[in-house]
Amino acid sequence: MTTYQSLLLGLRSSGAYFLSTFLFGVMFGIAASASGVENWQALLMSASVFSASAQFASLEFWQSPLPLGTIALSVFLVSSRNILLAMSMTHHFDGHSLGRRIIWLFILNDPGVVTSFRMDEWVDRLGYVTGYGIALMASWVLSTALGLSVAGLFDGADLSSLDFAGPLVMATMMMLFAKGSKSSPTPWIVSGIAALILFEVGTPNYLILMLSVVIGIAAAIIREKTRHV
Amino acid sequence: MYEQYPVLVTIAMMSAIVYATRLGGYLVGLKIRHIGWLRPILEAFPGCAFMAILVPAVRQGSPTEIIAILCVIGLMWKTDNVVMATVAGMAVLVLGETTLSGTGLG
Repeated sequence: MTTYQSLLLGLRSSGAYFLSTFLFGVMFGIAASASGVENWQALLMSASVFSASAQFASLEFWQSPLPLGTIALSVFLVSSRNILLAMSMTHHFDGHSLGRRIIWLFILNDPGVVTSFRMDEWVDRLGYVTGYGIALMASWVLSTALGLSVAGLFDGADLSSLDFAGPLVMATMMMLFAKGSKSSPTPWIVSGIAALILFEVGTPNYLILMLSVVIGIAAAIIREKTRHV
Repeated sequence: MYEQYPVLVTIAMMSAIVYATRLGGYLVGLKIRHIGWLRPILEAFPGCAFMAILVPAVRQGSPTEIIAILCVIGLMWKTDNVVMATVAGMAVLVLGETTLSGTGLG
């Protein structure tokens, strides 16, 4: 399958996450408006950052004067999973120029990466993830605009019950990954157990993320090494 | 309203950081890709990251949030239907918080 055909496949396959991204975009638009971000600034943020978790994290600290260091740290921490997502794609973007890979990494996205693992080998992963990313980018920017335009209707409304929507969407991605991944489940099961133990002993959230991923990777390395002995 | 220049700098910085995480991960992956046995380990990374974020979130969740996530997991397991699972989970969140808040459990 050519890159272009795979890109179209990515576009067509993105329907489910197009809708959930749209929902988050509307919520982001409403939240940004409530935080005093001007419409064009919120739209610029959605188009250039293209990361729901990073953008929501930044709003938590959106006050005058803007605390650059705090925003930078929080954005990095919530985006650190991108490092792992991009590493997992290393072998799958073969056959394209380095320039093309570097440019197209701009729209790397969790659902595209996770669902690409379920695709047949003949699908061009870079084209697929890019098609998926274009659809989600369109959804994200359009829904941000919609959220900004309807924000006035939600003045004073309690939307706190939707705070947990992020983990719900992440759970759908985890299930797609768990059912579609051809790799062993041992590393991520170990990561989950480690995260639970670290949480119970009162470890800060950013350390839970880093340490449990490191422990999961260590489990994966041990498993691979013992499998080849 | 905020001054325009600091806002633009902040947005540019956020954009650069997010892109740097994507690019950085990919470039590190390129450096170590020649180690053949690393490939299955690299492909386990997204699952490790999702679990490391999800488990503490669920552990801190209210009864309604735990029911919502169990509902999502169950529907995804049975149907693979992302829209159905997400809508059902959100419905549990909204209806559950409204219902349980009166009982003090929500």
